[in-house]
Amino acid sequence: MSEANAELLTDILGTVLQESAFMFVEPDQEPIEWGPQVFAATLAFESVRGGLLRLTAALPVGVELAANMLGTDADDPEAVENGRAAISEILNVIGGAFVTRYFGTKVPSQLGLPQALLSSHPATGRRTAAAVVRSETGEPVLLELDLEA
Amino acid sequence: MALEMLVVDDSPVTRKMVRRAIGLCGLEIGQVHEAGDGAEALSRLAEHRVDMVLADINMPVMNGMELVERMSADAELSKIPVIIVATPMSEQRIERLLDIGARAYLAKPFRPEALKDLVLEILGKGEGHV
Repeated sequence: MSEANAELLTDILGTVLQESAFMFVEPDQEPIEWGPQVFAATLAFESVRGGLLRLTAALPVGVELAANMLGTDADDPEAVENGRAAISEILNVIGGAFVTRYFGTKVPSQLGLPQALLSSHPATGRRTAAAVVRSETGEPVLLELDLEA
Repeated sequence: MALEMLVVDDSPVTRKMVRRAIGLCGLEIGQVHEAGDGAEALSRLAEHRVDMVLADINMPVMNGMELVERMSADAELSKIPVIIVATPMSEQRIERLLDIGARAYLAKPFRPEALKDLVLEILGKGEGHV
């Protein structure tokens, strides 16, 4: 079993963004300054232990993810409309990767349905570990894990 | 003959991604229908001839597991192969899905070539038949 730490979350986040949406990111330690709007998504999971994953992404990241996933340009209205759905799907894939890498594939795990919204502030709450990455344009993405005791 | 497909996923982005992958995988594809959950999928199956279903598991209203169970219990629908296209999951869950009638499991994210190989295997045209 991997450790539930920033290294695991950074690896999962980077891999999923690259493989699902062709987005290349770099780990970052700098404090995050969010823009006026962010995509904030949550996903509950149940396995050996339950918990919650929170994904927060700058608005342009969500639009770029949608554009890459749909095969359109970032200024395409379809990409702008689908930013929230893209963030939900990315968190869904992150959730699957997390439960199988952290708890393993031998134990049953269950993901909830991802909930994502466009918000003026990131979702907050207790966290066991967190990872921050930045897109090639410098936009931040934050993945947080709240693992039940 | 061109394959008629049904893509079942609650995420519109994922449905479009899967459609795109289907288009890129080099198979002769006819119409690609879409449904947002298992119940909607059963309605589409009642309306259209479909050769293969690509379904997510984690969906509201009716999830992919129940969709496979319902299709397996129907004499006609049980003939339509279902590929589960979903996030990584436990071995036990994959075995359960195959036990109740799903033909294959493809983990997200996937490459179009991987989808093509699975489709060809299911159709008996690949290197190793399923």
